[in-house]
Amino acid sequence: MNVIETHNLVRKYGKTEAVHDLTISVPTGSVFALLGPNGAGKTTTIKVLMNLLTPTAGEARVLGVDSQKLGVNERRQIGYVSENQQLPLWMSVRQFLDYCRPWYPAWDRDLEKKLLGRFELPEERKLKHLSRGMLMKVALLSSLAYRPKLLILDEPFSGLDPFVRDEFVQGVLEVSEIGDWTVFISSHDIHEVEMLCDWVGILNAGRLQLAEPVEKLQARFRHIEVVLHEPIMPAVSPPEHWLCYEQAGSVIRFFEKDYSTGKTEVLCRERFPSAAVTAHPMSLREIFVALMRAQRVQNTEGAIK
Amino acid sequence: MLPFTIELKLGLPVTEQVVFATKKAVVTGQLKVGSMFPSVRVLSQELKINPNTAHKIVATLVTEGVLVTTPGVGSVVAEPLAGDKRERAELLGADLERLVVEAKKLGLSLEDVQSGLNKHWRKLGG
Repeated sequence: MNVIETHNLVRKYGKTEAVHDLTISVPTGSVFALLGPNGAGKTTTIKVLMNLLTPTAGEARVLGVDSQKLGVNERRQIGYVSENQQLPLWMSVRQFLDYCRPWYPAWDRDLEKKLLGRFELPEERKLKHLSRGMLMKVALLSSLAYRPKLLILDEPFSGLDPFVRDEFVQGVLEVSEIGDWTVFISSHDIHEVEMLCDWVGILNAGRLQLAEPVEKLQARFRHIEVVLHEPIMPAVSPPEHWLCYEQAGSVIRFFEKDYSTGKTEVLCRERFPSAAVTAHPMSLREIFVALMRAQRVQNTEGAIK
Repeated sequence: MLPFTIELKLGLPVTEQVVFATKKAVVTGQLKVGSMFPSVRVLSQELKINPNTAHKIVATLVTEGVLVTTPGVGSVVAEPLAGDKRERAELLGADLERLVVEAKKLGLSLEDVQSGLNKHWRKLGG
């Protein structure tokens, strides 16, 4: 089962296409990270999911319901925190929580108290006098206290210091459940959720580059380094699945995106019969950067042709 | 706090890393036979990983006989595998082959490998 699905989703602002033909599925029970550089279309996608924007074409389904028909019942099961959340700044923390509580029958007062303590939030202080980190924690608390089945976080970490980021993740895990508890999180910097997420999607210029389980992605990507005994140019050109292929003197480096021990070894031996080949595993962040670089190289080459 | 040493490295499957760290902790005596293993929730919160991943880790450790689970109580570190010594040695077969392949690729001799093995064996208190 998928808790979020989009089918050929398009969203335009005037003539600009922010999201292009997006088909993506977020499996129930996953912690799914949607990555992409600024302006990739992540926030637009999330706003469509939350019915804050209507699709130009295609559709989005959340908890099995068309996003344009999301009702109170669904909203009570969704927690949503965004980077640019509008909060009633004239209220104090306590007033704000008093205001939110009645909307959610499942609101857990004990959990609210626990999170207030953990986040060290001053209940009497007005929201306009809180730091950015504290405001984000208030927003998160008000979305966690009713133990949502689906948590949607739009760039939750931008502008937060490492300590607050840590508290934020701890808070999220406080309401975690085994089974059908799902988190959909967008970020331009994967670092903070690298361990937390088990699914990843990469969006660039409104287009989905990939969406798959993290373990599968990590298994197929390697940073390959070849040290030639003599600095000669290999006669055969690199296959398509070797990204960002570069040579400097007797060293060749590239990213293999279809790695398997046997296959990669044979391909290397064919091209560099007597060379030392090493394959390094890559972090999600390195994979993300490699893909963005490969895309840029491709675009430049396309432009020249 | 977790009762065994683990430092997650980026780029490697989390499940594999935690399973390996647990086995190592059992071998070195950091985790004693019969002692409690952290719950899925604690594992998830301490390592900041998806609870479903933590669940998978515990399930893997149970399947491999490192832990035994008692419903309502939790998981404890199991007695070492009983059975034929030859059977147990066979479990290592694939890992040994991989080690030999890597060593040959690096141009090491059998002695190099043996002295390396000895060093690690002693480090874990053998």
